[in-house]
Amino acid sequence: MTGSTRRLIVTTLVVAAIGFGCRGSIPVTAGPATVQASQSPAGAPIPLPNKKGSLKFTVLGDFGTGGRGQYELAAELARFHEGFKFDDVVTVGDNLYGAERPQDFKRKFEDPYKPLLDAGVKFHASLGNHDAREQRYYKLFNMDGKLYYSFKAPNEGVRFFVLDTTYPVPEQIAWLEQELSGSSDAWKIAVFHHPLYSSGGRHGSDLKLRETLEPLLIRYDVSVVFTGHDHFYERIKPQHGIVHFIVGSGGQLAAGDIDKRSALTARGFDTDQAFLAVEISGDTMYFNAISREGRVVDSGIVERRKPTGNPR
Amino acid sequence: MRSRAIGFDIVRLAALGALALSPAHAGDAAPPQVRQSPIALSASEHQAAEEFEARVREYRALQTKLEATLPKLPSRATPQQVDDNQRALGVLISAARADAKRGAFFTPDLQALVKRVLAAVLGGSDGKTIKASIMDENPGVPDLGVNDRYPDAIPLSTMPPQVLKALPKLEEDLEYRFIGERLVLMDARAHIILDFTDDVLP
Repeated sequence: MTGSTRRLIVTTLVVAAIGFGCRGSIPVTAGPATVQASQSPAGAPIPLPNKKGSLKFTVLGDFGTGGRGQYELAAELARFHEGFKFDDVVTVGDNLYGAERPQDFKRKFEDPYKPLLDAGVKFHASLGNHDAREQRYYKLFNMDGKLYYSFKAPNEGVRFFVLDTTYPVPEQIAWLEQELSGSSDAWKIAVFHHPLYSSGGRHGSDLKLRETLEPLLIRYDVSVVFTGHDHFYERIKPQHGIVHFIVGSGGQLAAGDIDKRSALTARGFDTDQAFLAVEISGDTMYFNAISREGRVVDSGIVERRKPTGNPR
Repeated sequence: MRSRAIGFDIVRLAALGALALSPAHAGDAAPPQVRQSPIALSASEHQAAEEFEARVREYRALQTKLEATLPKLPSRATPQQVDDNQRALGVLISAARADAKRGAFFTPDLQALVKRVLAAVLGGSDGKTIKASIMDENPGVPDLGVNDRYPDAIPLSTMPPQVLKALPKLEEDLEYRFIGERLVLMDARAHIILDFTDDVLP
């Protein structure tokens, strides 16, 4: 690699806060997830290996506007699918903005993602604050009538825990505890709308939700969290060993909303729409954040949290 | 998916609190600890809460009965099926409750309880943060009416977990939401407003 294209490798081993420090009272059974990243434009992107048999999916959030930005990003997503055959799209909410009549489902979801839907790509939705509760019955969102649910990916020992964070009733938190504690999956990935960590000027971190959810995510070895709500892409520096992504850039865009002074940001992108492409193979997760123009704006590798043998 | 329980049942909350927050949960077998509610209710408030919950149960029975008269909505439906079902249920409920007025659920006693509880939850050191979460993308609307469709154009307010823990428990498919500084009781299945009470936030 030349100097100008030299990859900037940032290896972040977040150990300081694990098991001691400010969350010292939370039992931790797994070490931290680690991140190796290449931050465009400083370096060439870390490519997705596109291995046979790996789990491939994309993450999309805050997309259902029916507007040009959504359609153009959807077209890029379809183009991307031609070379990277992901089977699933995980949404982090705000799937439809405004009216939710049948014609709105068509204009704001079925039409822009038609090439993917026709190709058999399956969407798994979580609900945001702009989403009517009835979306849970919509067959193409695969929620099976549930506001919160989990599902196991077909391979690589991955389970997604999809939450409804606009209405986190105690029953839901108890359900999450039960699901996480009963899961022996290697990869536990949480998906919900409101970010526990965000450098957004408009919304930012949801501190009260963090207070409730984060202890469970730490305790039960969740490695990665996908959220939205803030209308940009941001990868947060690992927090208590967990890697948080905000992918609220699927249609809406809050240009310039990331606080440049934020100490949370590992990589932020708030100048165009973007989605996140993910590939998991064994203990390794590769990610590329891709803009409406098809540019890789963030990329890297996450190694999942692994048990340390400490008791729960 | 949602279990039913009497509202203000602190034992249920305790399990969550113990699991999520307690520094004492050192092992899998550790039993949940009973956490006392930070907001103790007076006897009259307890009674108001119980009466509210009885009204909610009665409403839920009505909703279930009316829904049974409609074609069953599959768990994997088309948008047209969802919309048809939702609007048909809304029509039936509005007709069955044609005489419903404000205060049918939020009686004066319950309004007082709600205000006091919210004042307690939002009056703490992090009250500002909780209120900011509630008011996030929550512009309010000038007019609301019982049996109105929940306004399509405005997002659902975020309900912080601390607020949901403090309010009386609801039946499935009923939800609290804030529209501006009003607390709304909505039928999340029929997408209609059942009752609301003004200026509940301190």
